[in-house]
Amino acid sequence: MGITTTYTELELVRALKERDDQAFGFLYDNYSGALYSIIKQIITDNSELASDVLQEVFINIWRKIESYDQSKGRLFTWMLNIARNASIDTLRSKSYQNSQKNQELPDNVYKGVANQTTQMNVDNIGLKKVLEKLKPEHRVLVELAYFKGFTHEEIAEMMTIPLGTVKTRIRNALIQLREYLQ
Amino acid sequence: MNLQEYIASGVIESYVMGLASEPERAEFEQLCTQYPELVAARRDFEERLEEYASEHAVLPPPEVKVKVLEAIGNTHSRKIPSSNPSKIITMENSTSPVRGSGWLRFIAAASIVLLIAMAWLYYQTNSQNKDLTSTNDRLKEKLTSTDSILNKIVEEQKTVLKDPNTTVVNMVGTQSAPKSSANIYWDSTSSNVFLVVKNMPKLPSDQQYQLWALIDGKPSDLGVFDATNDKVILKMKNTQKAQAFAITIEQKGGAPSPTLQKMQSMGKTRQSQ
Repeated sequence: MGITTTYTELELVRALKERDDQAFGFLYDNYSGALYSIIKQIITDNSELASDVLQEVFINIWRKIESYDQSKGRLFTWMLNIARNASIDTLRSKSYQNSQKNQELPDNVYKGVANQTTQMNVDNIGLKKVLEKLKPEHRVLVELAYFKGFTHEEIAEMMTIPLGTVKTRIRNALIQLREYLQ
Repeated sequence: MNLQEYIASGVIESYVMGLASEPERAEFEQLCTQYPELVAARRDFEERLEEYASEHAVLPPPEVKVKVLEAIGNTHSRKIPSSNPSKIITMENSTSPVRGSGWLRFIAAASIVLLIAMAWLYYQTNSQNKDLTSTNDRLKEKLTSTDSILNKIVEEQKTVLKDPNTTVVNMVGTQSAPKSSANIYWDSTSSNVFLVVKNMPKLPSDQQYQLWALIDGKPSDLGVFDATNDKVILKMKNTQKAQAFAITIEQKGGAPSPTLQKMQSMGKTRQSQ
């Protein structure tokens, strides 16, 4: 991309906090693809909307860089969570819900989501591909929690399983996920 | 607490991926300040996650970057975004002194050439325009005079043709030229004689037709004409008397007396009766 300067994470964060445009360009060139991937795994049916979210995410990163606390995690982790939250917010926005009404009946929302998640798409990308390797009962829960943004309580209610079981299964799924990432 | 059990519980993944509850998060962050091993384990998972995500990156549409840079440029314009090199190159082109002066010199030279060309073109056009104007004026004058002449003729013809005193003499062909024919309009009061050629053969360039009036047996010259102007009224010489009109072929300019052998047509007037 014509950028010759490289940064360690420390240098990059410092430069970004000093409002260095060049550092921001480097950040975009190096992370936009990974973040766009996670956005598209959440907003699966609308590439244009996913691009809009990516744009919003990077503008937010630029504006909120002051609030990034390195002691709590890596820069990418922080950005990944911004991208995930922005995507789920969009997924739950009234306008997006309205656009989906033709596809899902309101009293069937939970079942619909559960069905969608159990029928894994063949063209899954990124983390979703790793999910394919999990047991179906684990996969559904991670899908609902991570990619749909439901709380453990909401999942327990919609799947009619005890909250403790939801937590344990998600934890176990994440441990498996970690092993697959090695 | 058993740190290894805690690390293996999945709480790290849950925390990093944003799935931990608020109490879990608070506890995890608290423990991280105490146990560097926990931080190391967290960093390890974060790096794996980042690596995996980078490997499975999806290239976003290029316009997103432009929009993002525009958006942040609005809130912050201290530095030119380095990640948009094309913009910088454009600015360098226009401000670079070496290339700029060469370009300027070229523009200056081109401007002078253009200026000279335009001045010459202006001069050319101007003089051409003057020529055309004077030609136009001359043509207008001609047209006016021609018009007035034509009007005069038309008026004359009208008076001649409508005048009850005008005698129409129908000239018919002789034996030597049976097809020749012409009309004489003769106003006996004004003694004007007009000739309308109906059909007279073309003559060699050294010959002309000559009109005669026969007065008391003697021919009197009424002028020469060419047969070229078919059906045009020609004003001939005046005569007060005429028993007959005759047309002969003579040498160019006419003859003092008619060559009767070459008489083409003849018509008698009422005076002859």
